[in-house]
Amino acid sequence: MANHHRITRAAYLESLSDFREFIKEHCKDLPGVTDEILYDLQLAVDEACTNIITHGYADMSPGSVILDLELHPHKLTLSLTDFGHSFEPSNTPTPDVSASIEERELGGFGLFFISQSVDEVDYEVTEDGNTMRLTKYLTEEKNDENRSPA
Amino acid sequence: MKTEVRHESDVTVVTVDGSVDALTAPDLARAIIDEIAEGRVDLVVDLTGVEFMSSAGLRTLLGAVKESRSHGGDLRIASTNPGVDKVLKMSGFHTIAKVFTSHSDAVASFGS
Repeated sequence: MANHHRITRAAYLESLSDFREFIKEHCKDLPGVTDEILYDLQLAVDEACTNIITHGYADMSPGSVILDLELHPHKLTLSLTDFGHSFEPSNTPTPDVSASIEERELGGFGLFFISQSVDEVDYEVTEDGNTMRLTKYLTEEKNDENRSPA
Repeated sequence: MKTEVRHESDVTVVTVDGSVDALTAPDLARAIIDEIAEGRVDLVVDLTGVEFMSSAGLRTLLGAVKESRSHGGDLRIASTNPGVDKVLKMSGFHTIAKVFTSHSDAVASFGS
């Protein structure tokens, strides 16, 4: 059985630290969660929340951001739900990290950092909101019984 | 996040403590840009007291490197937090700007 924790905050940048603290509070002492993994989780959640706050709720009243954390024996799942504008992840360009400073775009790292910090990223738009689901495995073994065969 | 600015000979050191995220990064940008506007174009941003930095902080640093170089100076980093280092490395920042493990080494590099 997975342990489940939830935090809901209004979509303001002031809420970012609450989401990071929530991750720290519930994940810091888990077996398999190193300082590096904890930073990865906080970074992925911070970037996802920042995107929701600055893009998802752009030009509309800030709604809610819901973070659901599920703790499984060998993996964590983090689901971020919002009710703002959705987006198409595959349309988001990957930043050129080898570009020179003159050629470089300053932004566009948010989704890239998320993808580098967790093992799986899924995004779903339904009538119940937009949900980005992030999965982080805590061991090298990824043969969870619930995973579908490739 | 707190920033403190001081001058060590010709180098401006901006010491940052706390978290640099989308909320706080604009304050860091302002602190750096104010110095460059005053003609202090050689800067060290000391991130050794930073516990968390997101892409918003990275964006600020990239912009600040560009700005200082466009005025004939440079911006160098001191960083020891492995998480902050990972953010810098993932973005290729190390290939663009110099990153040191102590602020004294970063300051001294301007004299060499």
